[in-house]
Amino acid sequence: MPITTEFEYIKPKDMDEALHVFSVYKEKARVLAGGTDLVVHLKENLARPEVVVDIKALPELAGFTLRDGTLRLGALVTFSDLIASPLIKSKFPLLWEASLTVASVGVRNRATVAGNICSAVPSADSAPVLAVYEAEVLTRSLKGERRIPIADWFTGPKKTALLPEEIVTSIELKLPEKKHAGCYMKLSRYEGEDLAQGGIAVLAFADNTYRLATCALGPKPARCPGTEAVLSGARLGEKLLSKAKETILGEVSPISDIRSSKEYRLHMTQIMLGRALGSAVARLFGKGAKYGTENIC
Amino acid sequence: MDLQKLITKPKKGAKSIRAGEELTVVGQSVPRIDGWEKIKGAAKYTDDLEFGPGLLYAALVESPFAHARIKSIDISKAEKLHGVVKVVTGGNFTQKFGLYMNDRYVFATDTVRFVGEQVAAVVATDPKIALRGAGLVKVEYEELPAVMDAVKALEKDSPLVHPDLKSYTHVPWFFPKPGTNIAHWRKIRKGDLAKGFRDADLVMEDTYSVPRYAHCAIEPHSAIGLYDASGRLTMWTSSQSPFTQRHVFAETLKSFGLSHKDVRVISTYIGGGFGGKAGVTMEIIAAALALTVPGRPVKLLWSRAQEFYNTYQRLGCTAKIKMGVSKAGKITALDFKLHWDAGAYVEYGANVVNAAGLSASGPYKVDNLSIDSMCTYTNLPPCGAYRGFGYSEFLFGLESHITRMARELGLDPVEFRMKNAIKEGDTLPYGAHMNPTGIRDAIERVRKEIRWGVKEKSKDPKKAIGKAQVCFWKSPAMPPNASSSAFLKFNEDGSINILVSGMEIGQGLLTVMAQIASEVLSVPVSKIRVETPDTDRNPYEWQTVGSHVTWGCGNAVKRAALEARERILDLVQRVHCLDKSALYLEDQHVKCRTKPDFALRFSDFVINGIQAEDHTFKGGPIMGSGVFMPEFASAISDPETGQGGHPNVHYTTGSAGIILEVDRETGKMKIKKVALAVDCGKAINPDLVRGQIVGGLLQGFATVLYEDMRYNEKGRLLNPNFSDYKIPTVMDMPDQVVPIIIEVAQPDGPFGARGVGEHTMIPCAPLIANAVEDAVGVRIKSMPVTKEKVALAVKAAKK
Repeated sequence: MPITTEFEYIKPKDMDEALHVFSVYKEKARVLAGGTDLVVHLKENLARPEVVVDIKALPELAGFTLRDGTLRLGALVTFSDLIASPLIKSKFPLLWEASLTVASVGVRNRATVAGNICSAVPSADSAPVLAVYEAEVLTRSLKGERRIPIADWFTGPKKTALLPEEIVTSIELKLPEKKHAGCYMKLSRYEGEDLAQGGIAVLAFADNTYRLATCALGPKPARCPGTEAVLSGARLGEKLLSKAKETILGEVSPISDIRSSKEYRLHMTQIMLGRALGSAVARLFGKGAKYGTENIC
Repeated sequence: MDLQKLITKPKKGAKSIRAGEELTVVGQSVPRIDGWEKIKGAAKYTDDLEFGPGLLYAALVESPFAHARIKSIDISKAEKLHGVVKVVTGGNFTQKFGLYMNDRYVFATDTVRFVGEQVAAVVATDPKIALRGAGLVKVEYEELPAVMDAVKALEKDSPLVHPDLKSYTHVPWFFPKPGTNIAHWRKIRKGDLAKGFRDADLVMEDTYSVPRYAHCAIEPHSAIGLYDASGRLTMWTSSQSPFTQRHVFAETLKSFGLSHKDVRVISTYIGGGFGGKAGVTMEIIAAALALTVPGRPVKLLWSRAQEFYNTYQRLGCTAKIKMGVSKAGKITALDFKLHWDAGAYVEYGANVVNAAGLSASGPYKVDNLSIDSMCTYTNLPPCGAYRGFGYSEFLFGLESHITRMARELGLDPVEFRMKNAIKEGDTLPYGAHMNPTGIRDAIERVRKEIRWGVKEKSKDPKKAIGKAQVCFWKSPAMPPNASSSAFLKFNEDGSINILVSGMEIGQGLLTVMAQIASEVLSVPVSKIRVETPDTDRNPYEWQTVGSHVTWGCGNAVKRAALEARERILDLVQRVHCLDKSALYLEDQHVKCRTKPDFALRFSDFVINGIQAEDHTFKGGPIMGSGVFMPEFASAISDPETGQGGHPNVHYTTGSAGIILEVDRETGKMKIKKVALAVDCGKAINPDLVRGQIVGGLLQGFATVLYEDMRYNEKGRLLNPNFSDYKIPTVMDMPDQVVPIIIEVAQPDGPFGARGVGEHTMIPCAPLIANAVEDAVGVRIKSMPVTKEKVALAVKAAKK
């Protein structure tokens, strides 16, 4: 299907040029990185930008590095880049696991992690994982750089803290110092590519503390501080788990839509919480399913 | 008297096989003759065809309303757009068309009846300009009350979708009720229903519902039309029905001076049909547009969204079933009411309703039977053929109900089916008699394969394993005079070209036709070429639907090959003075039983004849033609009882079983094993039959587990895309699929073959529903049987 809307296509050679374009066009300019959302929106006339800014030629946005315990993901890093990386698999297996659940191979080859959080749909698979790693989003405009905690990034469905004249340059994740393991549990209609009907990311630490975050179970991806508090400090057992399952229902607010009913989402929030915690704790002790398996509900 | 039986009764006493009589090619899994071309990506589909820089593109203006009156259409802005060649509206084409019922319009004229219906078209030099032009056409509507539900459409105060129904022409076996939304009502009345219920020890009544479905062929519909200076209309279409399309184009557009000889349809390979490319849908638009831009080809290519909302969809069905069963496990009575949502136009879909109505007893002997199969207009997109043609829909309710009733009576559901399964000679719902059938063998083989009766336990304590086994049957649904024909021509080197108009839709028709001719003429398949048709050159075929072409077109090819064989034998008898009855064909030679050293190579005479002793030549090009029409069929019966005709040519039967693992908490289902046995009469190419079984099962399971067309209250389809209309991926395959071929010969089929294509998907829905109940004790009565439904039902049952 052809794109009928007309726009200027610009491929800046350096960051300064890119930022200039955004300072002039603001909301009327759209970033093209992976394009897996933008091109679909252009075809369907949901996006009608005056300028499409292809940032793929900007070297500072490419690649990822782990330095001093901080992983810096350039804005052009795709999910396939992460999946192919032994470093990510060994140091950030939860990010690796969630990346495997994003869409299909073809989409993952182009779609970027930064694009995923810029589109900011409630079902973004990368969001709960970035939330439990307490990531920060680095943005730039002609006015300078900003560093936005992921907790403040999502402001509503498809809405973020990004200003119209800014672009995302990278995402930073700190490797937790304590011994930990994780699990990303995703509710999907089948085994093929699907948008999450619900997702829960868990990071379990050896000192019986936990970080939890969800996607597609509310208007925006979010941490679950109440449930984390309930779980904190004690060994995970039946009683504690059932209290956590009660608590988490107060921290999610799913809707009914074409993909799932509210009732099933609530039911599955509890089931996925139990399974994600169980899997993360088992992995902490070197047991449990391998990362990337048994995490699609 | 049963004409079919009379014609097809197998001869008593087995003949001993003589030289040249044993099957050597039929029954072999020879590789597909179109295989290499497709594997290399070289095979051409309609959208691949090149038409040069003069090609024009069309885009549509579509209705945003489910039901509305068109007040005005302003095309002036669109006409002024640079690159727009023509803007066409319903004012240019007021003709109606249809396959079985003339109720469909080329463009909506004064009323739109579903969201997405074509109101106007813009033809331009570029697809983008066409789309932009379509955006400039201003249509004013007056919204009318709409009806979206087949049962509500029967209420007295329901809006009427077709107030002029009375004036519509249709085939004589349809019974519309003007002044209502009932487009057709197929009734079957057999035996004494009241007595049947009195004789029952258990009577159970329930309702099962099935939503609409989409075919999801990977290749969308496309059509290119060219109306040239000689007054001929050539259409390149992605179609299962080139000749039916030619007929509909010629009939609909005859006021433009076209006759059948002027219309030519060329069909390439098609990337999946499943019934969606049968008949005529969007192709009529391309044909009409071609007439408005003489001399220039114009192309219409459906987007994926249009593929969902403006082709045929599978009909939705609400099935109300009341069944009586005796303690001994005999079905004593069946009262089956099927309410079909057929959409805004039922020109094809009403025949689905008819077919299901004739056969809704399933493959069982039911002496006291009442079926009401009611085709209802609604303001949703038009419905039509879809693999299974109504049988999947009624089987969901019927086979769910049978298992429930057997269980309630403490009977084994498989034994119950074995007891009631139909036999050769049993009276069918419409009074004719059942053809030979291997259903009992199928039940037995599947029962063993899934180790029926052996309860299995999952290794995972959260999961339970359930089993189920059901039966199925299906007949081709076609007019009684639907016919097939074939030409066969020898070439100088003894190779053969076969011309047929049966379509290769992935099932392997071309290969099977080559095998049939190969068997008769002893020419290897590698020396036979069969291609997709051009209606100018290839002989008539009604349509490639109803799983009937191996049978119908195969019979025509066999007859063409036999005719060629006769000509060869006549010639050799005449020239060599050998008795014809002693001659036979072997390894591309004519041989003689009484003269072992006689061997005449085909390549020595099939074009240039045989030289006689006086140096003259006798014979000439060897060719054959074959025609097949089921002359025993008749669609005319008593409208109140359905008795008296012989509408169905034969039934293919079978059985399928499943081992299903169900997660009690999430509802997620995993098919550990599925086995399906089908009596295809004779598997001309066993690998292709197995391919049909595997593919059909996957498509069937998709409709049970994932697919579901969802409309909002305004009649807009909410999921015209693969983001929210899910078809399975390779990761969703069952762990194990066991195809089982049963061969009880169809006496009038080529080498005993009967149809097999659709049958393999129709048992899937009750298989899953019954296995879910066996595993976790909940009964789902509406399709799809999603994991969400299962999980919530299990949760509710716990409370």
